[in-house]
Amino acid sequence: MGTKDTALALLLPLTGLAVWFAVSATGTVPGYLLPSPATVGEAGLRYMFGTAGQGPYAGRFPGDLAASLARVLLGFSLAATLGIPLGICSGRLALVNRLAASIIGGLRAVPGICWLPLALIWFGIGIKTTVFLVAMAAFFPIYQNALTGARLVAPIYYQAGAMLGVSRVRGVFAILLPMAMPNIITGLRLGMGISWAYLVLGELTGVPDGLGATIMDARMLGQTDIILAGIILIAVSGRGCDRLLVLMMRLCFKSARRQL
Amino acid sequence: MRETAKQAMAAGGTASAMLETVDLSHSFVHNGAAQPVLRNISFTIRRGELVCLIGRSGCGKSTLLKIVAGFFAPSQGQCLLDGKPIVKPGPDRGVVFQEDALFPWLTVRENIVFGLRGGRAVRQARADEVDRLLDLVGLAGFGEYLPRALSGGMKQRVALARVLIRSPQLLLMDEPFGALDAQTRDEMQELLLELSRQRQQTILFVTHDVQEAVTIADRVLLLDRDSDGIREALQVDLDRPRDRTSEQFQLCCARLQQWLRQ
Repeated sequence: MGTKDTALALLLPLTGLAVWFAVSATGTVPGYLLPSPATVGEAGLRYMFGTAGQGPYAGRFPGDLAASLARVLLGFSLAATLGIPLGICSGRLALVNRLAASIIGGLRAVPGICWLPLALIWFGIGIKTTVFLVAMAAFFPIYQNALTGARLVAPIYYQAGAMLGVSRVRGVFAILLPMAMPNIITGLRLGMGISWAYLVLGELTGVPDGLGATIMDARMLGQTDIILAGIILIAVSGRGCDRLLVLMMRLCFKSARRQL
Repeated sequence: MRETAKQAMAAGGTASAMLETVDLSHSFVHNGAAQPVLRNISFTIRRGELVCLIGRSGCGKSTLLKIVAGFFAPSQGQCLLDGKPIVKPGPDRGVVFQEDALFPWLTVRENIVFGLRGGRAVRQARADEVDRLLDLVGLAGFGEYLPRALSGGMKQRVALARVLIRSPQLLLMDEPFGALDAQTRDEMQELLLELSRQRQQTILFVTHDVQEAVTIADRVLLLDRDSDGIREALQVDLDRPRDRTSEQFQLCCARLQQWLRQ
């Protein structure tokens, strides 16, 4: 990124921050609704690096992050493990698509939050409910993009493969998956984003740890600064996961490295 | 220039025939109705021969080539390669497509060795061969490039190299230079003729370009949607390299043009 691009990318966030400073300094909005950036920064630092006893939530961030990451990664992996193969099959095999289309289309029409009551009955309060919600939500974009990617592979590439002596089974790994890779990655990234959204939803239900649990808990104690710090940290973690996901895919697959 | 009757062409040279099609017919089904594309096509190609299939679009010339490639089976009749029926695609029949069919995530070198059996050791041994082939098709030094960095003509050179490394008995080319500019097309035709001469490569070449056919072909077969069998066949006995400005060249072209218009 050039200096100009960097400046442009920072323009809006910096403007927002300036407005926030101004609003807090002039007292337009009371502090219990919107604490000043300094207060939020302090709370955030205490939350991240403090030791227990320095104040509410001090030093709890590493534990919360670990708990949340475990839930996101479990749910997301489950969704990817099911979504990619099913999507690829539906994209290539008319029979599978016809079998799966109605049920998957129907399930997709259900807003993800509707699963919460059912999940609570099935799995109770705890990691399973969150993982279930995350997996349910992340599955659809992963499935749909894998399907599109597989469907878009032009027949000529299979013909080329067959003519070069690549069998159909080998072709799945040697041609189909690499060709569909850009779409698969789009699906994974969308799925990862949604995973974070549903993680917080799942954690609002009374689990003791996790980023979502902490901001919900802070609401009850009226700690708006912790809520804001938590939101910012969730945004940063989500963004970090997205970058990491792309990096991992690029490291692992030539087709990702050279087609993104 | 010598012209032979098409019956004689079709029957002739079975002893040295590499490819033989026997009463090949094919129909595509559209909305439940069968649309015949090919009817009773019988012809042979001798070893080392360069045969051009010409015809207007929709006459079935690409379909015929794809049947020979083994991409699908004809409705009736059969294709024999060295006397054995063609049932599926294989590296003994290398295909160069009109469209870019290189794998976009593989370098030129990786595209060329794509699908070759054998472990690392075999691949290592193949590396020199790839270099020689790259040299042959005029792409020395481009081995590590990705296809998207290459021009249309260069991509077709890679497409050629990746089938040549398998030493195919028969090279099938489906309007391979159709999307190239005139200058590049001339260069590619020269390259193809050089290959055909050096390697005694047998080639079936589909084109709709009469001048291209007369430039490269030993024999031109004309297909027509409504005809039963190959409609016309023309033996092109002009000396090589062919002079496009010569009277005989022009005569050949004029004859094919006239046939196409009928």
